[in-house]
Amino acid sequence: MLRTLALCLTLACGPLAGQTVTVDTYRGPVEVETMPERIAVFDVAALDTLAALGVTPAGVIEPIYVTYLGDATAGAERVGTLFEPDFEAVAALGPDLIIAGGRSYEAVPDLARIAPTIDMTIWEDVVGQGLDRLEAYGEIFGKQDEAAALAVAFQEKLAATRAAVAGKGRALIVMTVGPKVSGYGAGGRFGWLHDALELPEAVEAVEDATHGEAISFEFIRDADPEILIVVDRQAAIGQGGAAAKATLDNALVRETRAWKTGRVIYLDSAPLYIAGGGIQSMSIILDQIAAHVTGG
Amino acid sequence: MASPGRAFRIGLVLVAALSVWSIFTGVIDLTPAQAFGEPGGLALIASSRAPRTLAVLITGAMLAVAGAVMQVILRNRFVEPMTIGTGQGAALGILIASFLIPGAPLVVRMVFATLTALAATFLFLAIVRRLPPTQPLLVPLIGLVYGGLLEAGMTFIAYQYDMMQYIQTWVSGEFSGVLLGRYELLWIAAAVGAALYLIADQLAIAGLGRSMAVSLGLDYGQVMGLALLAVAVVVSLTVVTVGMIPFVGLLVPNIVSRRYGDNLRRTLPLVALTGAGLVLASDIAARLVRHPFEVPVGTIFGVLGAVFFLVLLYARPRHAR
Repeated sequence: MLRTLALCLTLACGPLAGQTVTVDTYRGPVEVETMPERIAVFDVAALDTLAALGVTPAGVIEPIYVTYLGDATAGAERVGTLFEPDFEAVAALGPDLIIAGGRSYEAVPDLARIAPTIDMTIWEDVVGQGLDRLEAYGEIFGKQDEAAALAVAFQEKLAATRAAVAGKGRALIVMTVGPKVSGYGAGGRFGWLHDALELPEAVEAVEDATHGEAISFEFIRDADPEILIVVDRQAAIGQGGAAAKATLDNALVRETRAWKTGRVIYLDSAPLYIAGGGIQSMSIILDQIAAHVTGG
Repeated sequence: MASPGRAFRIGLVLVAALSVWSIFTGVIDLTPAQAFGEPGGLALIASSRAPRTLAVLITGAMLAVAGAVMQVILRNRFVEPMTIGTGQGAALGILIASFLIPGAPLVVRMVFATLTALAATFLFLAIVRRLPPTQPLLVPLIGLVYGGLLEAGMTFIAYQYDMMQYIQTWVSGEFSGVLLGRYELLWIAAAVGAALYLIADQLAIAGLGRSMAVSLGLDYGQVMGLALLAVAVVVSLTVVTVGMIPFVGLLVPNIVSRRYGDNLRRTLPLVALTGAGLVLASDIAARLVRHPFEVPVGTIFGVLGAVFFLVLLYARPRHAR
């Protein structure tokens, strides 16, 4: 139903003499007019990949929380926040194409009433969908070669990182929020690290919950992972890995193999959490993991 | 009114039994035999199980005491620190502190939390002073709205700076992060609660109302100020250490005073014990319901406390009178 709606609107609203291309979106294949001039972007992962392709949006959300995309959004109009579009601002901007998804998923039908909108949500298969989106943007903006080059570079990085972690043992992904910890499994929002890197899980039972499962430090001690991947949710307020380290540095976690061998990897939360699936964000994360595993 | 002495002794035995159960409940398998026979057994108890059990006991006891004191001095059965903005004020203080001074030591956050908790409480008192005394239910209703407003303010700040999950740590309290070295602030709360017991008689007199208290020779303003300060300190220490746990301060004093009245000198120990026992039972359940993961203790307490309260309400006519 929504797909048909988006499709109809896409067809109805477009100018007459446009060239179109069919791209895969989260809601199925959609025909999109190529080379749109003014685009509004509501998803940080999309912004990330578009920036890598050298596409400058006319309208973006604010704040975008990640620091590495500052230049890419310079001069763009503010058209809402991460979850909520400012529909008046979008209408005033008069975009040729709206790219939404992820946290703005629910706003897609409403946005589609203003301008052609594609839902580029990345969920579950983060790497696969992330690469699909990259390819789609390449086709929409006529940057197929750039997109292909980025995809190849990413695949190489992924293979290298996979080789680096191979045989290093089982991993546990945790997120620290202040003094508390939650665990994530292969089905969770950071699960692509397990899948893409073929990294075995230290605990198989962690369920597929968006914000992880509340766990105690005894849980980490009991799981005894060889690699502990730590996402610090507090990094956003300028406390970096220090706060996460302070949270985990205790009698129980110190007894784990990961801590003893120094295989505790602190990942920047903003690229992973806010821009998850963006081609730059995934590369940053892989770099951080590879640097740590090969260095330590 | 019945004497709470016997109930206190029975309660003491129950809480002791719960404490032992709590010591042997956790993700890592530990039996009493292992605790004393195997290396690391006692270390695990010392570093994780005992601190958690103590933290739960102190938190439960002190939140119940804070609620009882609040109810007596405000002369309203339906108030407690977590529903009239004291807890929310403390959480707001932590948020502001960690925002203004990133990486602030715990003491700084605690001082911030106490100050904002106090400010929030006094502002609430200033608001409810204008309410008609004939409508006691208006006070908790205004409290709920007021607490909701404070939380909305927190959410607004947190949303702007991508800290939504961070404030959740303080808003929904649980004990999964408690370890040796991470809960000791609660001992200060315990000391403050004990100090409240020392002025229990004065608090009970203050609960008779301002004019009565003054005519009995009580420095009403001083006692009220001290009591509110103590409640703010207790609440902010709890929020800083484990987060907000609602309803303990509301349910427990009501449970105790239904049977034993409001003579704080006699009932406060039982209030503390009941609070400690109920929260400890909730925390054991919180550890077991979705083992090896954890469930917020407030959720369990809400269910457990409500059932306990209903049983008490309906069972009473058969025992009393």
